[in-house]
Amino acid sequence: MSALAPLPALLAAVAALAPAAWPAVPLSAEYTLPFVGPGTYLIFGIVLAPVYAMVAAWFLGDPSDRFAGLLGVGYLAGLTTVLWGSLFVATLIIGAVFF
Amino acid sequence: MSVDGVDVTGVDREALVRPIKTFSTRYVAALAVALGLIGVWLFFYSRQLRHGLIVTNLADWGSGGGVPWGLYIGAFIWWVGIAHGGIILSAAVRLLGMDTYQPVARLAELLTIAALTCAGTFILIHVGRPDRLVTSVLPAWPTRVQWSPLMWDVTIITAYFVLTATYLALTIRYDVNRLRDRLPNRLEPLYAALTVGYTEKEDEVVERMVWWIAFAIIIMAPLLLHGGVIPWLFSLLPSMAGWAGGVQGPSFLSIALTSAVAGIIIVAAAFRYAYGWEELIPRAVFQGLAKWLGFFSLIFLWLQLQQVITGIFAAPTTLQHATEVKISTPLYWVAIGLVVLAMLYAFATALRPDLFDLRALVGISVGVLFGTLSEKVLFVVEGLQHAHFALYDGVPGQYVPSAVEVSAVFGTIGVVALFFLVVSKVIPVVELHAIEDHEEVDT
Repeated sequence: MSALAPLPALLAAVAALAPAAWPAVPLSAEYTLPFVGPGTYLIFGIVLAPVYAMVAAWFLGDPSDRFAGLLGVGYLAGLTTVLWGSLFVATLIIGAVFF
Repeated sequence: MSVDGVDVTGVDREALVRPIKTFSTRYVAALAVALGLIGVWLFFYSRQLRHGLIVTNLADWGSGGGVPWGLYIGAFIWWVGIAHGGIILSAAVRLLGMDTYQPVARLAELLTIAALTCAGTFILIHVGRPDRLVTSVLPAWPTRVQWSPLMWDVTIITAYFVLTATYLALTIRYDVNRLRDRLPNRLEPLYAALTVGYTEKEDEVVERMVWWIAFAIIIMAPLLLHGGVIPWLFSLLPSMAGWAGGVQGPSFLSIALTSAVAGIIIVAAAFRYAYGWEELIPRAVFQGLAKWLGFFSLIFLWLQLQQVITGIFAAPTTLQHATEVKISTPLYWVAIGLVVLAMLYAFATALRPDLFDLRALVGISVGVLFGTLSEKVLFVVEGLQHAHFALYDGVPGQYVPSAVEVSAVFGTIGVVALFFLVVSKVIPVVELHAIEDHEEVDT
């Protein structure tokens, strides 16, 4: 722990108190990546392509049935929601019980 | 590699629901063992939650020779590998008409779901506070998935789990509807939910939908998941000589398929033994699985050979060093030896069927699972220990899995066992299609 450790917080506090006329003091260089990256093409373009084909085939072609197709899509969406929704609920419980 | 003469259409429906209808002391004993394994793990895990990852040897760069990934990540890859092979076998039955394996197809699907759950569990316990999966991953996902292999991994594991569960949910409707009168009444609400809106008219449609799920899985699982995103977690990092490079995709896949067939053999043999299913899962099914085990072992060994030869002949300095360390590690040769043994046994029994013994095959499959887990853990640990940069060379100690980590491996094996013990009491674990001709329409 160096003596300078509280500095960014101190600077931020000073900046917050400063009148709007003061020039903004950058506290650190912003580092961001563009939204679109290799994963955009790889995951949504290539890896998930068979899933798009599968869902399309559920509704197109013969024999297909609207109810069965929607049931399939319902399972896909529902199971994803249950999986992450239950983790979210667990997180809320952890937050309430322990913190 | 088909096996001739597997016809189980003579088996009656009563045999199919035997696990649901029976309750024995052996079942209770198996339940106790599974719960015991889970209990021991939960004890250790509670200590990890209380004190943090410091109770493992993975705390940070500052301990265990600078290895923050070890048995947890090795076991994660191992479980994902087992999961990938399970559903591939089931999809192959459906797409390629490998009807020989129809009696074990659903067991393989269930193994996928259980193993994938365990893989996710290893990520959950490795991030420290379990709520980090939501607080750290979810808000960052929309932007990070465009860039981060770790986020790709979270995405495809979710997609894969959902696809597999959907596959099972759709195929189970046919069976539950026709076996309803043989299933326990107290679970009626569950069966009603599973077969919501079911009419016999849908059979043909659902069969086609499931064919398409199998199609998606047979492309995704081997080529894009265990031969893609999972190895990319490692092979895209040029700073780790033992990890980087295109061979990791095929290599990971070969290990996954080898361990998955071993897993299916063990699960199928356990059910055959427990419920007297000699007719339902005949010997020929295991003889066929043994051939696949031998074939995948051969591919596994071939890809290891590729890595060793390119790593020691005239490799860049750091890769040469990493490979030399790998081949001077006794455990690596134990792993290779176990896989060689499986390959030799499989090919010997293919040439001389009278050498075939189911107990020996199960023993060899256990050996293969131990071998593949060892190889994966060594891959993770040694890859980190012998990086291009010498930043952590001065870090004291050497990584050795702690009791906390080892208990998690046994605990997750307990979870898989518990999963099968519970699920087999609720739904038929062998498809009705296995014992009836597809043309046969009866209600």
